[in-house]
Amino acid sequence: MAVISVHQFAQCITCHAWSPDRSMVAFCPNNNEVHIYRLVEDKWEKVHVLQKHDQLISGIDWSARSNKIVTASHDRNSYVWNLEGSEWVPTLVILRLNRAALCVQWSPKENKFAVGSGAKTVCICYYEQENNWWVSKLIRKRHDSSVTSVSWHPDNNLLATTSTDGKCRVFSTFIKGVDAKNDNKKDSKKSTSSDLKFGELIVQLDLSSSWTFGVKWSPSGNTLAYVGHNSMIYFVDDVGPSPLAQNVVFRDLPLRDVLFVSEKRVIGVGFDCNPMVFAADERGVWGFVRYLAERKTVSSGSRYGSQFSEAFGKFYGQSKPGVGNDAVETSKTRGVVHENCINSIIRLGERGILTRRFSTSGLDGRIVVWDLENEQDLLEL
Amino acid sequence: MAGSEGFVGADNAEAIITRIEHKTRKIESLLKQYKTVEALKTALEGTYAMTSDERCKSAHWIAVHRAIMAIKDVDGMLSSLDPEYYDILMKYLYRGLSTGDRPTCDQCLRIHEKLTERAGHGCILRFLTDTVNTV
Repeated sequence: MAVISVHQFAQCITCHAWSPDRSMVAFCPNNNEVHIYRLVEDKWEKVHVLQKHDQLISGIDWSARSNKIVTASHDRNSYVWNLEGSEWVPTLVILRLNRAALCVQWSPKENKFAVGSGAKTVCICYYEQENNWWVSKLIRKRHDSSVTSVSWHPDNNLLATTSTDGKCRVFSTFIKGVDAKNDNKKDSKKSTSSDLKFGELIVQLDLSSSWTFGVKWSPSGNTLAYVGHNSMIYFVDDVGPSPLAQNVVFRDLPLRDVLFVSEKRVIGVGFDCNPMVFAADERGVWGFVRYLAERKTVSSGSRYGSQFSEAFGKFYGQSKPGVGNDAVETSKTRGVVHENCINSIIRLGERGILTRRFSTSGLDGRIVVWDLENEQDLLEL
Repeated sequence: MAGSEGFVGADNAEAIITRIEHKTRKIESLLKQYKTVEALKTALEGTYAMTSDERCKSAHWIAVHRAIMAIKDVDGMLSSLDPEYYDILMKYLYRGLSTGDRPTCDQCLRIHEKLTERAGHGCILRFLTDTVNTV
């Protein structure tokens, strides 16, 4: 199996992030704190508790090079934590939000971070040297509802967002003084004058009629993937004036987050508690390949797991008297690693063309580390 | 999507209704030849066009209902139905279940169980979350 390790850290985890050397993991155990654990000789020890937020922490990101942690919370605030000595010192970021912050991500160069919120805005925050604080610039227009997830393009300028209004949008986050203009020389064919205006909407994708989550860019930045709450996943190639979109329908429960393990392979995680693999074939057509972990083989009586069998038994009740009882499986262990919705999937290691390791965290309070070493079909570029 | 517009002019609705009547006659003739699967496919085709008008929706529903009630072999029907029809069939099943009429509900429930086995919970999710293309 692709599972390397499973750790039960809490009753429920909302989000997690790893330290640059992957020796420590930070997560929110469904309250207003961030717990940091370090792996010491095969055992996990709690080394820090970051207490500053008043409400649930909905997003954590740990920058790989500058070793800063950024947290975003339902209390409408965001803090940037710096390690000074052995203490994590928080710096408040004034986001100017009147609703909860829902997600946060450092940009590839780690000089900016983006926060999506329930106030239908995205905050792009950058560091102002003179005043020694983090300033936020808001992208106020365009979103009709909460921004559920944000993702940075490798060029450190474009930002993709998904929202509960069903649309995925790409914005430019160019900030004078933070982003230098000459960096765009390499991609000069891509940058136009509109790319260099803060908050400019580059592309709006209206592919889904339901809430959208979990947007990510492929390693080259050419393809976007995001999921809808209607058990569909959307792939968009050549993001720009004439994008090529594909809607992939799948059998089971919706996904919440995705990760590109290579240019043509995507892993999606969600309510099925089992990562799903999607791949693009030679023609560029995306489709579902398989589940990553083993699925529990179903008893011949019914296809439904124990939590569903009672409900469906009643639903179909009249004609099938016996369906409720013989479908009950041995309670909790369903043969998959997570027992509740997986809501986050994080790459482990440097951003690159190929990702071998990643971790998932879920509402069951577990963080699971996966390695694709033995999955030959997923290691091809 | 070809043919989907927000606002339905009176002329357009009449044209749709005429098309549906034409379709209904075709369905009747297919049912007489016991080609229940063909009848269902004919009924399900083109149902997304002009979905905002209630009369069109009702007319479509009557045709689909006729085809659904005529099905005896559910497994056989689902084996020969293209997967692209699963989502739209699921939506009509729920419409059937909402009528409260006993024979309709029994039939829809019978088909619902088999369709869920085949198409998975995703099919149900797509019905629940689609507030734009309703039947």
